[in-house]
Amino acid sequence: MDLRYTEQDQAFRSEVREWLEENVPRKKLETLDEKKAWHRKLYEAGYLGMGWPSEYGGRDARPMEQAIVGEEMVRARAPAPVNGLGISIVGPTLIHHGTEEQNQRHIQKILTAEEIWCQLYSEPNAGSDLASLQCRADIDGDEFVVNGQKVWTSGAHNSDWGLMLARTDRNAPKHQGISCILVDMSSPGVEVRPLKQLSGSQEFSEVFFSDVRVPADNLIGELNTGWRIAQTTLSYERGGNTLSRYTRMQESFNRLLDVVGIVKRDGAALIDSPHIRWRLGKVYADMEILRYSSLRILSRLERGERPGPEASIAKLHYSELDKAIQEVFLDILGPYGQQIEGIPDHIALEPDTDPFEPGSWAYAFAWSRAGTIYAGSSEIQKNILGERVLGLPKEVRADRVQATAQQASSSGNGDD
Amino acid sequence: MKFDFSEDQVMLRNLIREFLTDQCPGSHVREMIESETGFDREIYRQFVQLGILPFPEQYGGGDLGMVEQAIILEEMGRIPYPGPYFATVMLAGSALQLSNDENAMARFLPDASNGDLIMTLAFTEDDTGWTADAISAEAALNGESVTLNGRKRFVPFADAADIILTVARTPGTSGQDGVSIIAIPADAEGVSTGKEMMFDVTSRTATVEFTNVSVPVENIIGEAGAAWPVLEHVIRRAAVAASAEMLGASRRSMEMANEYAKERKQFGQFIGQFQAVKHMLAEMLEKVENGHAAVYYAAWALDADAPDAALAASVAKSTMNTSSRKVCGDSIQVMGGIGFTWEHDLHFFFKRAKNLEVLYGDVDHHYDQVLNEVLAGRVAGAGD
Ligand SMILES: Cc1cc2nc3c(=O)[nH]c(=O)nc-3n(C[C@H](O)[C@H](O)[C@H](O)COP(=O)(O)OP(=O)(O)OC[C@H]3O[C@@H](n4cnc5c(N)ncnc54)[C@H](O)[C@@H]3O)c2cc1C
Ligand SMILES: Cc1cc2nc3c(=O)[nH]c(=O)nc-3n(C[C@H](O)[C@H](O)[C@H](O)COP(=O)(O)OP(=O)(O)OC[C@H]3O[C@@H](n4cnc5c(N)ncnc54)[C@H](O)[C@@H]3O)c2cc1C
Repeated sequence: MDLRYTEQDQAFRSEVREWLEENVPRKKLETLDEKKAWHRKLYEAGYLGMGWPSEYGGRDARPMEQAIVGEEMVRARAPAPVNGLGISIVGPTLIHHGTEEQNQRHIQKILTAEEIWCQLYSEPNAGSDLASLQCRADIDGDEFVVNGQKVWTSGAHNSDWGLMLARTDRNAPKHQGISCILVDMSSPGVEVRPLKQLSGSQEFSEVFFSDVRVPADNLIGELNTGWRIAQTTLSYERGGNTLSRYTRMQESFNRLLDVVGIVKRDGAALIDSPHIRWRLGKVYADMEILRYSSLRILSRLERGERPGPEASIAKLHYSELDKAIQEVFLDILGPYGQQIEGIPDHIALEPDTDPFEPGSWAYAFAWSRAGTIYAGSSEIQKNILGERVLGLPKEVRADRVQATAQQASSSGNGDD
Repeated sequence: MKFDFSEDQVMLRNLIREFLTDQCPGSHVREMIESETGFDREIYRQFVQLGILPFPEQYGGGDLGMVEQAIILEEMGRIPYPGPYFATVMLAGSALQLSNDENAMARFLPDASNGDLIMTLAFTEDDTGWTADAISAEAALNGESVTLNGRKRFVPFADAADIILTVARTPGTSGQDGVSIIAIPADAEGVSTGKEMMFDVTSRTATVEFTNVSVPVENIIGEAGAAWPVLEHVIRRAAVAASAEMLGASRRSMEMANEYAKERKQFGQFIGQFQAVKHMLAEMLEKVENGHAAVYYAAWALDADAPDAALAASVAKSTMNTSSRKVCGDSIQVMGGIGFTWEHDLHFFFKRAKNLEVLYGDVDHHYDQVLNEVLAGRVAGAGD
């Protein structure tokens, strides 16, 4: 064991920190163009797609270097890159499964935010049970014809392209009839209807597809292998970024420490209350655990291991912890914690609490409720841990019972 | 950044696991509960002779670090090992080592290293706290000797110990001033032990009364009246060591419950197929893995003398305090009626963890320490 950062890591950290100090935008980015310009600047500095092979515009950076950039960005209160899903999910998917032509066509534009991407997976009837999705892509000559609906699509209203899972074989068992295709969001027949979120902003949307024609060349991998491809992309979502999540929590915590020193309740500074001290101590201890376990994951990634089902521990941990921590913050702050306008400067939470929203304690609180739903809900993570890490037998589930029954009857037919 | 064990550390863990599962199976633990001293002297001797002690080599130790001790203690938690390793090595041994008192080390550590000498630390009093304010036993210096008066409670393996390192203060002092550690031979005149039996029947403790016990001033470990910083450090190491032991107890409990959930059928299926049970086990796994990260980070931070070593120790102990009760307790829940029997070993882990929860700082104490360290700026990377 050696949990020191190497000299190389430390030098890299200072380099990133210096660059951010000079380049982080001083005022809030309002327009999409401003956001794209910032994204491009990050890319040109070498801080996006860092881990990708150099032939695709990356720099083969180590996981530790990526984590350092993530952390330093939070510390510098730097806005997140606007093409976040492009960078975190679409790019890696293409690199692993795309053809040379697809990669040439898309990767550079992802990196430069010339084209913004969204993830078209969830549907009204296919959330956790993603494999039951029904949006269809039927082959017609050298085109797919797409019909159906997606929902909760983050950033759809800004997106030029979408990474879609669609059903391409309705007769196959549900996991085996899905394909992964790239959809141009400006195609005729695509309609994006923004949805207002609990937090008050409009960030995700419903997306409707009516006879949308997509070139067959936009298929990723083989036909009907989309499920396996999606599994690998889901694992990019889990595990890798936990250190920067810790850093975000820590930034809020440090801000809270300032606030509790100043704000009084019943005549005494909040920090003088033993109850508040106890809670602060507990929250900090819980956050430290997240830091330690993030370092543990990082050290595995550094050794070249991919995050396996254990990444579910990290996902479960940070998302549940975030909810718990935000509750404590709001308890301590009283009504200030719920104020979304007119909050006194010395109490306000300054850093952006989310790429898409202005910073406030209440927004951070609101967003904490999303983390245990998306990218595999907490319940789904616990199923994964129970079955794939602890080796517990699978639960009896209606869809499995049906599938078994169908299999039995179809093999019966075959005998006839 | 390397969080995984080195090859040597993996070998150490395997060695300890092999020794303990071989020598101290459940039947041995049960035998020891019924025995007079609560442990097997010969097994203890063989164990410390494996060359695994943190003591300097010149005094017969293996010069191993805190990470290695955490590995050993975690394995002990999986038994749970009944014996005075913690008392002799982690408590008294740490006090001697951290005092940097070469004479005392030369006098006690060689015998402790071959298992001939059993030691313990008498810290806790009627006031069961872990700060200097909890100390009221008095040590009065008179010329060449020192006279000790007071009562210590919950002294681990005091009945078996040959040497009781006793914490006492100079009359008239308070707080962190005037605190000394004094080596008292258990058979000195004026020392008497009173029986205690704890819920964790696999660990022995006793009440020790000191009535005008007189020993030479050479028996003061380190500098007279200046032992508090040493003790603070000893307690910190003990908190991490205890956390490691609780981690072992938790992981072992979880493994047993998990195996059971794969075998036990009710309502026509394995109970591990019920989400209520599966999710409980998944939460246990999360707690155990997070506990692993916390324990070994803290052990490493002590070895590396990291700026956040005290913080990390308090994080580890507070975390294991809250997780081990949950993990060991829920394991009992998964096992149903069998989990509530004496026959099944599960309760030994539950009780060992519960015992350790209140030692070397409870959860309130450590949350307090965490915040104090943060406010003082003693966090990771401070000073970089
Ligand atoms: C802020 C936000 C952004 C999102 N962005 C995107 C996006 O960009 N692209 C995209 O495709 N999707 C996106 N999603 C959708 C997200 O992936 C889904 O919400 C998620 O998969 C859950 O599906 P659902 O909402 O249909 O809930 P359901 O699957 O209906 O779940 C409802 C409840 O039932 C529980 N449940 C379901 N199955 C089980 C089971 N087997 N065992 C136990 N409990 C179960 C769930 O845990 C949950 O508590 C986003 C969601 C949010 C909240
Ligand atoms: C102190 C004590 C006294 C008792 N006294 C009596 C007595 O006087 N007379 C008598 O007849 N019995 C008595 N019992 C037995 C008691 O009723 C059973 O222990 C209890 O019904 C649980 O059954 P089990 O032990 O077989 O556990 P199991 O039923 O095997 O349960 C094991 C675990 O699986 C879980 N589980 C089981 N089924 C499900 C499910 N469908 N969904 C989710 N989780 C599930 C349980 O909650 C438990 O966590 C006593 C038990 C105790 C502990």
